[in-house]
Parts: sequence; structure tokens; C-alpha cells
Amino acid sequence: MTVPKVIDIESIYKTYKNEGLETEVLKGISISVGEGDYISIVGPSGAGKSTLMTILGCLGQATSGTYLLDGEEVGELNDRQLSRIRNEKIGFVFQAFHLLPGVSAFDNVMMPLVYCNKTPGDAEERVERSLNRVGLGHRMGHTPGQLSGGEQQRVTIARSLINDPKIILADEPTGNLDSKNGAEIMATFDGLNREGRTIIIITHDLAVAEHARRILTLRDGQIVSDKINETFQESRTSPARATAE
Amino acid sequence: MRLFRNLAQALRGLRLNKANTFLMTLGVMIGIASLTVIVSIGEGTKSKVLNRITNLGFGPESFSVMSGAGRLFFGRSRNTTSMTLQDADDIRAMPHVTIVVPRQRKRMRIINKKEFTTTRVYGVSPEWQVARGWTVVDGAFLSDMDMDRKRKVIVLGATPAYKLFGEKDPLGKKIRVGQVFFEVVGLLEKKGLTESGYDPDDRALIPLSTSMSRLFRQTHLHSIKVVTTHPGRVKDTMAGVTQILRRNHGLSPLADDDFRFVTPEGIMQWVTESEQALNRMLFLISTVSLLVGGIVIMNILLVSIRERIHEIGVRRCFGARRSDITQQFLFESIFVSLLGGAMGAMLGWTLSTGLKRFDLLPTKITWDPFILAFLFSVIVGLVFGIHPARKAACLNPDETLR
Repeated sequence: MTVPKVIDIESIYKTYKNEGLETEVLKGISISVGEGDYISIVGPSGAGKSTLMTILGCLGQATSGTYLLDGEEVGELNDRQLSRIRNEKIGFVFQAFHLLPGVSAFDNVMMPLVYCNKTPGDAEERVERSLNRVGLGHRMGHTPGQLSGGEQQRVTIARSLINDPKIILADEPTGNLDSKNGAEIMATFDGLNREGRTIIIITHDLAVAEHARRILTLRDGQIVSDKINETFQESRTSPARATAE
Repeated sequence: MRLFRNLAQALRGLRLNKANTFLMTLGVMIGIASLTVIVSIGEGTKSKVLNRITNLGFGPESFSVMSGAGRLFFGRSRNTTSMTLQDADDIRAMPHVTIVVPRQRKRMRIINKKEFTTTRVYGVSPEWQVARGWTVVDGAFLSDMDMDRKRKVIVLGATPAYKLFGEKDPLGKKIRVGQVFFEVVGLLEKKGLTESGYDPDDRALIPLSTSMSRLFRQTHLHSIKVVTTHPGRVKDTMAGVTQILRRNHGLSPLADDDFRFVTPEGIMQWVTESEQALNRMLFLISTVSLLVGGIVIMNILLVSIRERIHEIGVRRCFGARRSDITQQFLFESIFVSLLGGAMGAMLGWTLSTGLKRFDLLPTKITWDPFILAFLFSVIVGLVFGIHPARKAACLNPDETLR
């Protein structure tokens, strides 16, 4: 039984042009990610991690190559369609949290629903469920300024889950946290993966990368290794994966 | 609906950035406040002038010719002495002229024992009452007999009558005007203060012959009021009067007139001209102030976009379209402008009321400036919000999150 592919990238190139100077950041990258997968992408600074994240997150488009997200060719979509894809299929978690300042955790988590074509009738219950899922059900009314770093990151995870996305894209999710909070956040991701969520974490921290089942190493715009994590605990394996294997 | 959701986000954005919101409202607030005040001063001045015209007792078939060159009420020289009773007699002899009232005028102190007041004292012929259509409520008006015998009799307006006699009956009493004693023979009907504060009742009338020989001791006239048979005759009559006066005053063909006409038409024209000049100024001032207000909004929004770049990025990441961001910032700009407009209208209303209350300037509050304020606010918000809004929307989402 094959696992359905959520992401299928085929020889992606990305070139930035700046004042006549061309810089090739991604040089023919191909990745495929199955449903329920848990992947970390590691690499030194300047390897092209952020650019790859931009393309995976439909925030920018590749210069050439094909990108199928959940069966849709992303390269051919316009701004409106890309916005819909980001809204429905991708949940973002950022290193700097990027919560709306002065707005309660509840409203921050609610934000993606503002941009749905139709606000779901059970929006409020969904927000509550999402915040409860990350253990912040009791702090819904607190603004980011009243929350610790770890709690803020958990709010961003709750926000990324609100639309039940196909993949969760996390960019250095523990980068701004101390080790204890970092561990808690990674435990949250592990739990989400166990529930069957597809998670892609971009990091330069090997300890964070070790949480994933598959580790991709990026260097100079190319994937230099794509290996299954030996230390990945079987107990963490997602039900979908377990069945597939 | 998506539009309303963006509207809600815009309101939230404004609430969260209170300092910026306040600064943005300032420009529009000042613009709208000045617009409101200027319009109300304009309206006030207009109604004051219109009131004055009504109180001059002009019918369309009449006009006044005043001594001294100039225009309307604004004489260039105060010492012109060329207009005499002869002029009045010659005008009376013209065809189509029904009534001619020669007048002398001086501001003088009038005294009743310990009470005194200063009022406008007119020396007039008995036709004055007919020409003005002003009734006498007590006693009688000046008669031809009074005129012929140069009697020292006086008809009081309601204001000096009250100031000198209070509630008592002034008829038959003697009052002193300057150094001369006069007997009060009549009381004019009270007209009441005009809206602008002009008091038509503040006057006293004596026979012209008396004023010439006993009080003012001068033979020249202040003005002559002429009533013609028909409004259509006014123009011809004025031309005739010009000829008579120029001839009587011995003016050479090159010399300017030493008299001027006051006609209802002339006053209306003057009012219209002043109003137009005022409106032009109003338009200029409000345009400049609203332009400044708009630029303030635009600049602060542009700065605020820099500050809120992550917010824009996050919104884009979670599915906001370019049009959503444009709408949000445009709504913010329109809201801010409307808020400024509303505050400006309130401030303007307060200032206008204050100006009138403390008698500094005539103002009249109408709905126009408030409707204008609303319209201008929306326009300013739209015009000056569109550039920052589009700029925010065109930001590349991946660049905004770095």
C-alpha cells in the first residue's frame, strides 16, 4: 500500500536577481513527502533552507521545476489561488512567533478563519479545541505580551492547526526558546505527528532535527543527503506510517 | 462576508495602534474644523448683511444717494458738504419720483435729567415715515408744521426711549440733545435686534429744518432717499439724479462723482460678490488643510506599514489575498479620516458657537459644513489611503517575515 503524496517537488530551481546580479539559491531540488510524514530539513546558513521553505509554503514561486501540493500544480496558480492554498492546506510556525501584538490568543488563533472563503459555523469551538490541544485552554484571553515564549509558540501551533491543514511548516520553531520550552514544543510536534499530521521542520539544530523520521540535508542549494533517522523511536511513528510500512 | 471581515480587522488595527490613529486624525480634524468654522462665519456674515438690507427699509422701487464718493455704505470722504436741500428739491421735480427724503445724521448724546444715552439723531422731512413705512405707536410723527416752524420736537426709537424713560411714558417730556431741549412727540414701533446684533430702534428723529438751523447748524445733507413710481424707473432716475447732482455741485466732466448710490440691487450684488470671494477663500483654505490632513494620513500609514510588516506577512501566510490587505488598510485610512472629520466637525461647531456667544464674529451653523465634512473625509481617506494600502498589499509575503 502506497502512502498518498502531499508534496511532490521535481527539480526545483530558484534564482534571485538583484541589480543585474543573479544568484542561484536552489539548484534542482526534488523531494516527495507522503501523508503523515515527519521531516526535518537541516543545513548551514546560506544553504537555501529559507528559500525552500518559501517555495514549500507557497509564499514564493520557483524559477523552474514543478511543485505538486496535494495534487495541485502550484506553479500555475495566481495570487488568489495561492492565498487559498496557504489558507486551507498549510499551517505555518515561525521562529519569531509572529503573533498579532495586543490581540488575545483566541483572536490570534482565529485569524486564519477570517480569510476562509466561508467562515465555519463552529469557528469558536474550533479555536477552543485548537488551544486546548496545545494546553492553553485556560489562557485564551491573554495577549502575546502576557504569555511566555513557549506559550506564544504553542499559540502559533494552535493557529497553524485551526484550518486542519495538510502540512505544518515550521521554521526554526525552537530558535527563540530555552531548552525546556524547546523540548515541550518538539513534544507537541511529535504528538501531532502521531495523530497523523504531516510535519516539515526547517532547522539548523541537529537535536531538533533528530525528532523527525526523515532528515534531509541541504548544502549550496542541493540536497546532499536524505536519510531515515535511525534514532527515531518506533513509538513516535504515525499510525499512517505504521500501516504503510 | 469577506469585506466586513476586513472592515473588522481594520477597526482592530486602529484600536491596536492608538497613537498612530490619533496622529492621523489630527490633520483631517483641523481641516474639517476650519472648514466648519469658515462656512459658519460665511453664513453668519451673509445673514447679517441681508438683515441690514431689510432694515434699511428699501423697496425695489427706491434708492438712496449719499454724500461723498465711495461705494455703498463705504464713503471715501467724511467731509463732503456738497449735497444740499437744492439737490433734494431738483430731484423731487423729476418725473417718476414720488417721495424724496433729505436727511442729516449725527451720533449724539441725548439726556433726560440723570439718564443719558448716545444714539443716531436724524434730521428728516415728514415724508420719511411714508418712505420707510415705519408706524408710530404713541403720539404722532413729525408734521409739515414742525418742519416749517423749525420746532424742537423729537420722535424716539424704542431703544433711547427705554434708556431714558424706562417704563414711563416719554410723551410731552423734554429731553436735551447736545445743548438743545426737545419735546418728545412720538414713539416709533419697536423692530427688535436683528440676528446679527444691529439695533434699528437705536435712533431719534427731528425735523430737518430744526437740525439744520438749531442742532447740527449745517446746511449740507448726509443723504437723500428717493422713491420712484416703479422698480423699472430706478435706473433712469439714478442717471437723472447723477446729472442734477453733478451740475449742482459744479463737477467738471473729468471729476469723479462726490456722491454715491445705495440701491437694493447694489447691495445684493455686493453681498454676492463678497460671498463669492469668501467661498473662493473657503475652498482654498479647506482644500489646503484637507490636503495636509491627507498627506499626514498617507505618511503615517506608510510608516505604520513598515512597523506592521510582520502582521501583513502573517496575514498573507494564513490566506489573506492582496485585495484583503488593500481593503484593510484602505478601511483604516477611511475610518481615521472619518473619525478626524467627526472630531473636526465637533470642534468646528464648538468654535462657531463660541465665536457667536462671545460676540467675536457673526456665525450661523448650518448642515452644509457637516455634510461637506463627511464627504471630504471619505474622499481624503480614499485618495490618500490607496497608495499605502496598495504598497502593503504588494509586499512579498516571504520578504515580510524575515
